[in-house]
Amino acid sequence: MIEVLGLRKTFHDRKKGEIPAVRDISFTCRPGEVFGLLGRNGAGKTTTLRMLATILTPTSGTAKVAGHDIRTHPAEVRRRIGYLSGDTKLYDRLTGRELLRYFGALAGMATPAIQARIEELQEPFGLGELLDKRVGRMSTGMKQRLSIARVVFHDPTILIFDEPTSGLDVMGARAVLSLIVNLKQKGRTVIFSTHIMTEAERICDEIAIIERGAILAQGPVASLRRDAGKETLEDVFVEVVGSVNHDG
Amino acid sequence: MTAKTWAVFRKELLDTLRDGRSVFAIFVFPFLLYPAMLFFMSWMQTKNDEDARALQIRVGVVGQQAIPSVMEDLAKVQGVIPVTLAETPKNFEDAAVDAVLVIPNGILESIARGDSVRVELLYKESENASEAAAERLDPVLDDLRQALLVAWARGLGANAEGPPAFVVEAKDVSSKNEMGRYIAALLIPYLLIFMVAAGAMQTAVDATTGEKERSTLETILATSATRAELVLGKCLAVLTAALTGAFTGIIGLWFTFTVVAAAFPAMESSTLQLSIGPDKLVWLFLTLLPAAIFLSATLVAIGCFARSMREGQTYATYVYMAAVFLGLSSFAQATPPLSRYFIPILNTALLQREILTESVQALHAVAAIGVTSLAAAFMLIVAVRLFSNESVLFRT
Repeated sequence: MIEVLGLRKTFHDRKKGEIPAVRDISFTCRPGEVFGLLGRNGAGKTTTLRMLATILTPTSGTAKVAGHDIRTHPAEVRRRIGYLSGDTKLYDRLTGRELLRYFGALAGMATPAIQARIEELQEPFGLGELLDKRVGRMSTGMKQRLSIARVVFHDPTILIFDEPTSGLDVMGARAVLSLIVNLKQKGRTVIFSTHIMTEAERICDEIAIIERGAILAQGPVASLRRDAGKETLEDVFVEVVGSVNHDG
Repeated sequence: MTAKTWAVFRKELLDTLRDGRSVFAIFVFPFLLYPAMLFFMSWMQTKNDEDARALQIRVGVVGQQAIPSVMEDLAKVQGVIPVTLAETPKNFEDAAVDAVLVIPNGILESIARGDSVRVELLYKESENASEAAAERLDPVLDDLRQALLVAWARGLGANAEGPPAFVVEAKDVSSKNEMGRYIAALLIPYLLIFMVAAGAMQTAVDATTGEKERSTLETILATSATRAELVLGKCLAVLTAALTGAFTGIIGLWFTFTVVAAAFPAMESSTLQLSIGPDKLVWLFLTLLPAAIFLSATLVAIGCFARSMREGQTYATYVYMAAVFLGLSSFAQATPPLSRYFIPILNTALLQREILTESVQALHAVAAIGVTSLAAAFMLIVAVRLFSNESVLFRT
């Protein structure tokens, strides 16, 4: 479970001064659910997810991830999460096997457990051809399969996906979304950010529309549509985000 | 050291070994650079000698009538063309000469009276031909001095054809072994510093700034490894690369001066016997270790701070240049004061020279190792702090 309470992040810039990236957001993401953060580029999605992954420290507020406070017990949080960003890459000079071993070791797994997990994931992720091939020589699709295998390698209970389909073709994006649905069905807690409405509509149980670091609307997709009187999530998004920008 | 630190160490080392540039810098570079330098220096020396022999030098003589034989004597020197001048020229270019010999009027009469005389040789050290003129005129002037002495002695009634010869012949009697030890004491400390810095540079920047540039940083920051475990693993890999670089540097040096130089008859004079006993090797390693940790941690800290590979490489080059400068400074320190042993890197080079010349002073050793170890510990803390600082890691 992820419980976010009044999370705020402000960056300091010498020239621009204080830049609020996330403003007092709160939400809850339960096991067996996919929670979607929907927003434009620069809306604050990545900063929020980086705080949940303990890569960034909140300016104020906090969150509990799998029962552990991200401010006071970041190591415990990291032990229980899998984090994938569409921007992150892999090490080109390592083979698939070396890469999985590396991240298994960083997750604190013992060598026999790592070997067993590689065997276990080989078929569902189609790793056979990837294990002894260097990442730099893999296709984009192969790299994506390996990235996903890396994220779930230590069997985390919380999955954080930051625009995981960015830069992927239709098949690659579909594979990622299938994985997310699969993880949800296994009872994992999944938080997922995107700016692609159809993706959010398809897999999210609950959505928060985020703009300028603040959550403007939140709830199940059907409820958001009903409340706004719109047929599609895209229409809801345009209206909610447009009204704020019009006002502001 | 935790299992996670070792995992980072193994991964970074593997990454380095698969990077062609790093492999080249650590394993190939010393075996190409040193022989190339030796060949280049031999070629330059030969070329300079040939050029010097072929050089025609014009020497202007003012007051040649005072010693009638001087023009003839100068003409006998190979590559010297004597030119009569009425007076000392204001500049050599206008008079078309490279040097000027000024003989005072009535020099023979002055000598006969027993008065001191002064012959001036004007030349420019800033110009090769002029400097060569001064060197070539040396024996002529010696002969002239001798002839004048004979004339003076005869004037006093001595029956002398010439004064008894007094010749100083300087001969270098160093054995190859002694020369090797001298060169080793001078060169090895510097080369060790140079190779450590060169070996560490690429790996350090790649393991830190490279993570940012390749967008792999977030993946490791989101693992359960602590920042300290990650940084220490990286530092350990950089240190290994640096020490390997130093080791191959020494092997490369030995290969150049013993194998390559001996294989070419033209470079026979360059052969040296570089033999360092195992005890000295151990001491060299132990004294190098704190300096290598210091350099590795500094480069890792800089890599954490830099925004891009280009920026990281620029900063790392400054560190490398500073290390090379400090290493080179050790050449000029014949009997350095204790304060020099408080300057990291320089103190290591100075202490290693003492080890190689078997003149270690305990106070120097304590100061050098102590200060460098403290500096290394400080830089490790700085590297961990920087790697834990999100405003540094994610600054744009």
